Amino acid sequence: MTEGADTTPLLETHSVAVRRHGEALLDGVTLHVGRGSVHVIVGPNGAGKTTLLAAILNQIPFDGEIAMNWIGSGAVGYVPQTFAVDPTLPVTVADFLALTRQRRPVCLGLTRHARADIARLLALVGLPGLEQRPLAVLSGGELRRVLLAHALDPSPELLLLDEPTAGFDESAVRSFESILSSAKRHANTTVLMVSHDLDLVRRTADRVTVLNRRVVIEGAPDVLTTEHVRELIPVRA
Amino acid sequence: MTAFYGWIGGLAERGLLPGDFQYPFLVRGFLCVLIIAPILGGVSHLVVTRRMAFFSAALGQAAITGVALGLLLGEPLNAPYGGMFGFCLLSTLAMVYVKRHATLPPDTLIGVFHALTLGLGLCLLVALTRQFNVHQVESVLFGSLLTVTDTDLLLLLAVGLFVAIMLVREYNALLLDSLSPPLARVSGAEPAYLEYFFALLLTLSIVVSLKIIGALLVEALVVVPAAAARNVARGTRSYLIWSIAVAFLAGAGGLGVSTRFLVPTGGAVVLAVSAMFFLTLMARSISRRRRVL
Repeated sequence: MTEGADTTPLLETHSVAVRRHGEALLDGVTLHVGRGSVHVIVGPNGAGKTTLLAAILNQIPFDGEIAMNWIGSGAVGYVPQTFAVDPTLPVTVADFLALTRQRRPVCLGLTRHARADIARLLALVGLPGLEQRPLAVLSGGELRRVLLAHALDPSPELLLLDEPTAGFDESAVRSFESILSSAKRHANTTVLMVSHDLDLVRRTADRVTVLNRRVVIEGAPDVLTTEHVRELIPVRA
Repeated sequence: MTAFYGWIGGLAERGLLPGDFQYPFLVRGFLCVLIIAPILGGVSHLVVTRRMAFFSAALGQAAITGVALGLLLGEPLNAPYGGMFGFCLLSTLAMVYVKRHATLPPDTLIGVFHALTLGLGLCLLVALTRQFNVHQVESVLFGSLLTVTDTDLLLLLAVGLFVAIMLVREYNALLLDSLSPPLARVSGAEPAYLEYFFALLLTLSIVVSLKIIGALLVEALVVVPAAAARNVARGTRSYLIWSIAVAFLAGAGGLGVSTRFLVPTGGAVVLAVSAMFFLTLMARSISRRRRVL
């Protein structure tokens, strides 16, 4: 790896546009997400934040260009904004986390290796011993922490988080911040996160983009102190 | 196979097995149940998780149309697999393709196919009754042990093994895709491939099970075992075990009832599986009440 390669942004979007039913959901969004940084996207509801993540994941059609400059595993971790669980679904937390951690079908039992990995991941996100709990009975905050555990292993080169702390209590938010900083420090993970929690953004972000279907402003977290940004975002009391 | 049936019959005569096993067609029927239970029970728990119950119902209707088409084109009455598999395959591919490319909700689109195949099937069945005795056609629609042959049994075994191997290969991806297609895609799965893949395995499972369960009722065995299992299972392992156990008990029970009371096998199996659904529902309700107390 050369020093020059290190300074290349991991993720670049150029004039990305998404239209649905003739309406522009995103219009000419250009973004550079620095390698190993925590880049946060903020904006009002309907600003296109989740749409931008879906375009980056190549899950919806878009115009423009999105480039990934991988130098590592190219692994992507993702915590989606919504994850609806059927209330009668008999899938436990361990079953869910094992789905991408073993080749053996999870309905035939979990491997010893997967069990150990899952125990470690659940302890990391502050949910030790929750393996046998059905997904359907988890609280919103617990479910998001399970999704975070799923996204963190294998160690991602790019971590996409859509409202990862929704439903978290204060201690869970602090624990999340520590996980984020550990992933950055030890695995040089690049994080692109959508959040409405401005306190969290100020504490964790290296760079902030205010989005409202197009890029309104971009810079260090202190851009959020400006008056016009406050008007765009529903600030918490 | 004759020697095998003779040996089983001997065991039944000596009282080591139930007396019904003196008859080769009943032994064959029981073997069919032994193979169908893991196939349909296993497939059913993914059908329900992937919300494909209505899709399966439409496929059952397509099987009727396929049978009628095959018979009209000259296939033998006791093995109309060509028409059945061909038409079901076409219907499956068309349903999945249209579902993926249209903007209407999936249940609306499948409803259209359901109506189309039912209408076509009815017209063809009327034409069919001019060539065949209506009772011969009945056995295809409602299932009959008398028409199951050793070739059917071997076909069932071969397809069952194939479906099981394929499901083992892709089970985790299929389940993750059922829970969250975006997460499945991020982990390297291709949702379009998985959708076609599972729909084709479901088609194969339904087509080979049809002679014993019947075209009109086969969809019940790909939905109800998993629905019953959901009432009592807590994880994917117990979900699979319960789905297979319910399918097996319903199959064996239905077989017994159909031979004792001379009713169509398919109808008896479906009644048995429905009874098991309500029993598990009661068990769930009692267990919840105990937890509250």
